[in-house]
Amino acid sequence: MVTWNELWLFALPAILCWAVASLLSLRGERQKTVCLFAIIGLLIFGSYIASMWISLKHPPMRTMGETRLWYSLFLPLVGLITYSRWRYRWILLFSTILSTVFIAINILKPEIHSKTLMPALQSPWFAPHVIIYMFAYATTGVAMLLSLWQLYRKQEQMAAIDNLTRVGLSFITIGMLFGALWAKEAWGTYWSWDPKETWAAATWLNYLIYVHLRQSRPAAITPALLWQVICFLCLQMCWWGINYLPSAQGTSIHVYG
Amino acid sequence: MTEGGFVCLALMLAGLLLQLALGPVCWETMAWPANGIVMLLLLTSIALMHTLRSRVALFRWMATLHAGIPALLTCAMMTILLGVTRQVPAGHVPTEPIGITSMLSFWPFVLSYIWLMLLVGMVCATRLVRPKKRNIPFLLHHMGIFIALVAGTLGSADMQRLRMVVQEGKTEWRAVDDHHRIHHLPIAIELHDFSITQEPELSFSSDVSVHTKNGIIGRDTILVNKPLSAKGWKIYQYSYDETKGNRSDVSVFELVRDPWLPVVYVGIFMMLAGALSIFAGKKW
Repeated sequence: MVTWNELWLFALPAILCWAVASLLSLRGERQKTVCLFAIIGLLIFGSYIASMWISLKHPPMRTMGETRLWYSLFLPLVGLITYSRWRYRWILLFSTILSTVFIAINILKPEIHSKTLMPALQSPWFAPHVIIYMFAYATTGVAMLLSLWQLYRKQEQMAAIDNLTRVGLSFITIGMLFGALWAKEAWGTYWSWDPKETWAAATWLNYLIYVHLRQSRPAAITPALLWQVICFLCLQMCWWGINYLPSAQGTSIHVYG
Repeated sequence: MTEGGFVCLALMLAGLLLQLALGPVCWETMAWPANGIVMLLLLTSIALMHTLRSRVALFRWMATLHAGIPALLTCAMMTILLGVTRQVPAGHVPTEPIGITSMLSFWPFVLSYIWLMLLVGMVCATRLVRPKKRNIPFLLHHMGIFIALVAGTLGSADMQRLRMVVQEGKTEWRAVDDHHRIHHLPIAIELHDFSITQEPELSFSSDVSVHTKNGIIGRDTILVNKPLSAKGWKIYQYSYDETKGNRSDVSVFELVRDPWLPVVYVGIFMMLAGALSIFAGKKW
């Protein structure tokens, strides 16, 4: 029987493997070595989730603590995929830190393990939807920082900004569509123009404008860089801004009390 | 791109005039067969404009980014406007004279999306006539959103969400909509037993048989996260007699029918495939 008490036994070696992979990738070591460490970490942490699944006799997905286990697993996984596809050296460090935060919450705050999620959130869609959006936030956030850097220091960063934005936009698209499929299953409609969905659509449209503008007017650098900022502001509004937006109060099913 | 901006501006003004003249967009008139006819007209006009593109400069221009970017910008602005205005619940009249508190029925909002979809349709046509392998991701993105948005919007008028209250031991054929109108359905639910269990966790379940005019088509249990599908309807466990709790002898179901859903799903899965193709290809 595996319980929460055994979490640290699996989590520490896993975090260690991911940390080694992050450092190796930051130093520009061979991709195979980096991937090997990341995968060993994933296997260790994955085996803990599998053992929990067997002990609980149902997928660990019904409480806040159990959901965090999936974040902690999938964040390094998506990080690894992004790293092996686009060779962003910093991405593994980012995913390792986030994953460690979630593991630390689970180890240090055992009282949340049993806090049951509302029924609509007890869904296999929940974890992938949130994780994909987290990666979208990461890639588009870096794109925005590079944009500000270029606006301020006039250093050419357009290739990196374009690539990060395309990756981020793909993640946003997948996250949004997963949300639609999940909503259909939970509430019977795939799109209901709830404030969160409205701002997700606005964000998506603005990133589409950026991508199309780059293709249409590659020489118009400053408008494109400023547009990055607008896109990112929309994303922030979608992520947490609507919690404070007067027009969204009391109308959004995405605001959980 | 200036022309594109002017077209969008003209469209917004036309939308405001329509709003003044006709009032909000009445989506209920779009119910079958009207939405089928509109879909056919839309596809025919795209095909026609595409064939005439060598003769009409406007139709050539419509498939370019000079038209597309201002259209995207207009949709983005209308969507942000929707995001910052408090909306009245669906089916209610706007609380102000312009109509932006009922944005989904606001003509400029609707026209901005129709214009965008028309342009997306035109650009898909130009890539479809000479199919090339490298066009696949492009077509997945653009045809995906076209199919999902057009079918989703036109199909919304055919979607039905009804509630049905059934007593234990009885068979019910009627259900009510949000406006308390009674609908007689082609299927009926017979409730054998409703029960609430506390272990291993709280769950509500209804043991039911589904009937059609030709007899019983099956018996099954409906749980909160486990709806039942029958004859195009999805039956969700919705509520029960909360005053009686565990001894409730009625169960309330929500019945949802969305005949355009498979088409919307085709669009959604095309978009997903398009988004995933970035992991495979070098460029979009």
